[in-house]
Amino acid sequence: MSDILVLSGSPSTKSRTEAVLGELSQRLREHGHRVVEAPIRRLPANALVAADSADGEVRALIEAVSHAEGILVASPIYKASYTGLLKSFLDLLPQHGLTGKTVLPLATGGTPAHVLAIDYAFRPMLHSLGAEHVVPGYFLLDRLIEVSEDGVRIDAEAEQALMSVVDYFASALHRRARYAEAS
Amino acid sequence: MTERRIAVVSAGLGRPSSTRLLADRLSAATTAELAARELSSSVETFELRDIAHDIVNAMLTGFPAGQLRETLAEITGADGLIAVSPLFTTSYSGLFKSFVDILEQDSLNGVPVLLGATGGTPRHSLALEYAMRPLFTYLHADVVPTSVFAATDDWSGNGDQVNPLPKRIQRAGGEFADRITQRVGAHPTDPFQDVPSFEQMLRDT
Repeated sequence: MSDILVLSGSPSTKSRTEAVLGELSQRLREHGHRVVEAPIRRLPANALVAADSADGEVRALIEAVSHAEGILVASPIYKASYTGLLKSFLDLLPQHGLTGKTVLPLATGGTPAHVLAIDYAFRPMLHSLGAEHVVPGYFLLDRLIEVSEDGVRIDAEAEQALMSVVDYFASALHRRARYAEAS
Repeated sequence: MTERRIAVVSAGLGRPSSTRLLADRLSAATTAELAARELSSSVETFELRDIAHDIVNAMLTGFPAGQLRETLAEITGADGLIAVSPLFTTSYSGLFKSFVDILEQDSLNGVPVLLGATGGTPRHSLALEYAMRPLFTYLHADVVPTSVFAATDDWSGNGDQVNPLPKRIQRAGGEFADRITQRVGAHPTDPFQDVPSFEQMLRDT
C-alpha cells in the first residue's frame, strides 16, 4: 500500500477533470492504495501567486507531496499546455521535490491536436523535479466526459484505455513498495 | 510616421529582478533598432507580480475585470510584445502561464513577439524553444527566430563567450524591430474605416 496524492490544476469549480479524478481515486483505492485528492484551486490565491510557501495551507500541501509515494498530476489543457494554476503550485516545491516518486500525468482537453502536451510539457517538467518514474500518461477528450447528478460517465473505449493507465500506475507503486521492502 | 508602441511583460518575482533587467535590455535594444530604421517608439512595461491577484481572479471567474481588462487591451493592442519569464523546473513560471491562460484566443494573432527567459544555468536555455515558444505559436503570434536566455553568469560577463548576452540581445532586437516595421499595413486597424456612408450608398444605387 502506498500514499497517493491527486493534484488537480483546474481553476474551475465545475471541473470535468476533477469529476474524472474522483473516479480514478476510487480505482486506486480498490488497488489498495491510500488516496488524497487535492484541488490546487482551493489554496489561497494570494499565497500561490506571491510564491508564499509560508502560508499554512500551501505548506500543508507541499508536505503532503513530500510524504506521498505516488503523485497523479492532472490538468486541463490551456493554450496547448498545463494550466498556470498547476505550475504556480509546482513552482513552490523544493528543487527535485519529486525525487523517488512515481508520477502519473493526466490531461483533459478539447482537441486531439494537443495530445502531445503530455510528452512535451508535463513530462520534462516532472523529470526536472526529479520524479523517479513518470509512467505513461493519458489525454482524455472533454467531450467523452459526461458529468450529471448521478456522477461522471466516460466513453467506454476511452475509459478502458484510461483505466489501464491508472492500473499500471497502481501496479508500479506496488512494485516499488515491494522493492523497497526487499532492499 | 506613427509611433510604434511596445508592450513588455515581465514575470519576475524578486525586486530587483534579473527578469526585469533582461526585459529592459530587450526593450532598449528594440527602441534603438527602431530608431535606426527611423521609427520612434514608446515602451510600456507591465510587472505581472503587480497584477497577479487580478490575474488569479480572472482565471477563477473566467473573465478579466476592471483595470485588468484595460491592461490586457494595452498589451495585446501594442505593435509588438516582449514577454520575459524566469524559468522554474525547466519551464515558464506559474504566474507567466496564468497570464497567458487568460489571454483571449485571437488576441495576439499576427502580433510580433520577442521571447526572453532568465535562469540560474545555461543548461536550461532550450526551455525557451520547447516550452515558451509553443504557447505563442498556439496563439498565432509572430514570434521572432531569436529568443534570449540570460543565465546568472551572463550578467557578470562570465557566460557564453562565443555569443555573449549583449550580442544576443542586439540580434533579437534587430529581428523584432524588422517585424514591427513590416507590420505597418496592419496599423492602425479600424474595422469601420472602409464602411461607405449612407450618402455614398444612396448615390451608388
